[in-house]
Amino acid sequence: MPTEAPTRRDAPAGRDAARRDLPWNVVVWNDPITLMSYVVLVFRRLFGYDETTATKLMLQVHEEGKAIVASQPREQAEVSVTRLHAFGLQATLARG
Amino acid sequence: MAWVRRRLNRVELRLDRREREILLRIVDELRPGLGDDPRTRLHAYDDPALDEEYQRYSKPEVEHVRAADIDAVRAALSGADDRFRLSEDEALTWVRAINHLRLVAGARLGIDDDGWEERGDGSMLEREEYAMLVTLGWVQENVVAALGA
Repeated sequence: MPTEAPTRRDAPAGRDAARRDLPWNVVVWNDPITLMSYVVLVFRRLFGYDETTATKLMLQVHEEGKAIVASQPREQAEVSVTRLHAFGLQATLARG
Repeated sequence: MAWVRRRLNRVELRLDRREREILLRIVDELRPGLGDDPRTRLHAYDDPALDEEYQRYSKPEVEHVRAADIDAVRAALSGADDRFRLSEDEALTWVRAINHLRLVAGARLGIDDDGWEERGDGSMLEREEYAMLVTLGWVQENVVAALGA
C-alpha cells in the first residue's frame, strides 16, 4: 500500500522545487581593461537600469571587485550571464 | 580625422582611409587571440557539473557572437566609405567587438590589475599592443558616449 513512501518522495521534490524557485545572483567581476563607461552602458542595456543605478553598480564592481547586478530565477539568470559574456564582461551565477 | 557623433537614432562615425587601415591591422593582429586570456574564458558556475553544462551549451553561442561581432566590424572597415551610419544594434556590435579586442591586447600586455594607465610602465608604453589598446579605447569611448547621448 502506498502509505508513507510517496510522502517521503514528495518532500524532497517539494524542497527541490522551492530551491529551483529561489533567485540566483548574477555577479559581475572587475577587470582592469574594460572601460567604465562601457560597463555602465551594458548594465543599462541588459537590465534597464537608469544611469545613476548603473553607475553605482559599476563603481561597486570597480572598487569592491564584484557586484550583484541582478537576482533572478536560475534560467533567466543564466541568460543574463550569457549575454554579459557576449558583451565581454566577467560574470557568474551564485545561489541567492 | 576621426569623429563620432549622435544624429537622430543613428551613431555616425567618420574614419578616413588611413584610420580604417590602422583599425583593420589591429583587428587582424588581435582577432586570433580571442579566447586566449584566462579572464575571458567563460566560467559561469562554481559547481563543476553546472559549469560543464554551461560550457557545453552556452559557450559555443557566446564564442559565435564574439567572432561575429569582430567579423562585422572588419567587413565594415574593409569598405570604401569614410562615414558609417550605425543603427543602435550596429553601434552595440562595434563596442562589443572593440571590447573583445581590447581584452586580447590587455592580456598580451600582461595587465592584470587596475591603475595600469596611471603607472605608465615604460616598457609597456613602447609595445604595439599598448597603442592598439589606446586606439581602440578612443573609438569605443566615443561610440559608447554617442549611444548614451
